[in-house]
Amino acid sequence: MGVLSVSLDKWSDEEIDSMIEVGGNNAANAVYEAFLPEGYSKPSPDAGNEERVKFIRSKYELQEFLKPGLRILSTNSGKTFQSDSKEALDGSNSLSHRNKVQTTVKKSDLNPVWNEELMLSVPDEYGSVKLSVYDEDTFSAHDIMGEAEIDIQPLITSAMALGDVESFESMQIGKWLKSDDNALRNDSIINLVDGKVKQDVLLKLQNVECGELELELEWIPLDP
Amino acid sequence: MGIVFTRLFSSLFGNREARILVLGLDNAGKTTILYRMQMGEVVSTIPTIGFNVETVQYNNIKFQVWDLGGQTSIRPYWRCYFPNTQAIIYVVDSSDTDRLVIAKDEFHAILEEEELKGAVVLLFANKQDLPGALDDASVTEALELHKIKSRQWAIFKTSAIKGEGIFEGLDWLSNTLKSGGG
Repeated sequence: MGVLSVSLDKWSDEEIDSMIEVGGNNAANAVYEAFLPEGYSKPSPDAGNEERVKFIRSKYELQEFLKPGLRILSTNSGKTFQSDSKEALDGSNSLSHRNKVQTTVKKSDLNPVWNEELMLSVPDEYGSVKLSVYDEDTFSAHDIMGEAEIDIQPLITSAMALGDVESFESMQIGKWLKSDDNALRNDSIINLVDGKVKQDVLLKLQNVECGELELELEWIPLDP
Repeated sequence: MGIVFTRLFSSLFGNREARILVLGLDNAGKTTILYRMQMGEVVSTIPTIGFNVETVQYNNIKFQVWDLGGQTSIRPYWRCYFPNTQAIIYVVDSSDTDRLVIAKDEFHAILEEEELKGAVVLLFANKQDLPGALDDASVTEALELHKIKSRQWAIFKTSAIKGEGIFEGLDWLSNTLKSGGG
């Protein structure tokens, strides 16, 4: 992580703009100093270099004062990929089938609500849907904030099994059970609602201390 | 195929598992067996609407187990789930002697299905804890299992409530699948 100093470093126009965009020092401190220990005194303007370095490392590098849930415990990014760099994808056989979509970025929000609809096309040979949540960083690589996988077989198999779903009344089609083996927070129910096959999913983010992700899946069959 | 629509973001990722269907008449104990496999405990169940699905790791095989509702009205949908199935677990209420004939007919109808031709069959003579339950030999006879042709199968006495017999059956299943059956 790079840290720029207002008085010591040269700032480019771009950097100043992005600093203003994220809300300046107060907004940044609302996140990075949200949980300063009681009685902790920040280095004063005349503090020595060693004290400053220690504080900066605690604040930004170790993220000691962040809300606990936001702290990134695992920095192993071997299996993850940057939000829009294709090079980071592993070279497995399924590469050609990979497709990827991304939400907008919710700024300075510890409980972001996206409420966005994203679409993925599903090939004949499909695997799980992998979700990755990132903390966008203006000056360095985005930090991974947790991941989860969704097995879309129950949704797709049941949708295909019913066939012409529009001819059925609304009903519960099935249930995908929570287990130690998946990221489900509770049993996930697949419903037929007004001729549409939908599944509500509440996931516990993996590789992170805590965090949940709620989403709705919908299967849209294409005409043959 | 088609499109899956999500309100978040995602990417595709591949892996393979053995797909297993748990079939049998209503009230045979399929869902109780499913929960036994998953958590090793007894859960009170209600008649299954549609299906329950779960994945369980057992003997280095990742089983994707589909427990399909057994009520008469939804049995016709069973066949929709037949493609790509490696094994069937057929559960029989060994104490429900009145309906063994129906259990037999449903069972042999399943074996006729072209899409299940390669699937191995594990039978559970369930509810051994109940008085008057038939043993495995009697269930074998009642279900006319001697008529099974060119297919690997086995029958185990089970009590889902007591947790008996299920994992013995799964041992047989995982060994059979590993040795290339199904």
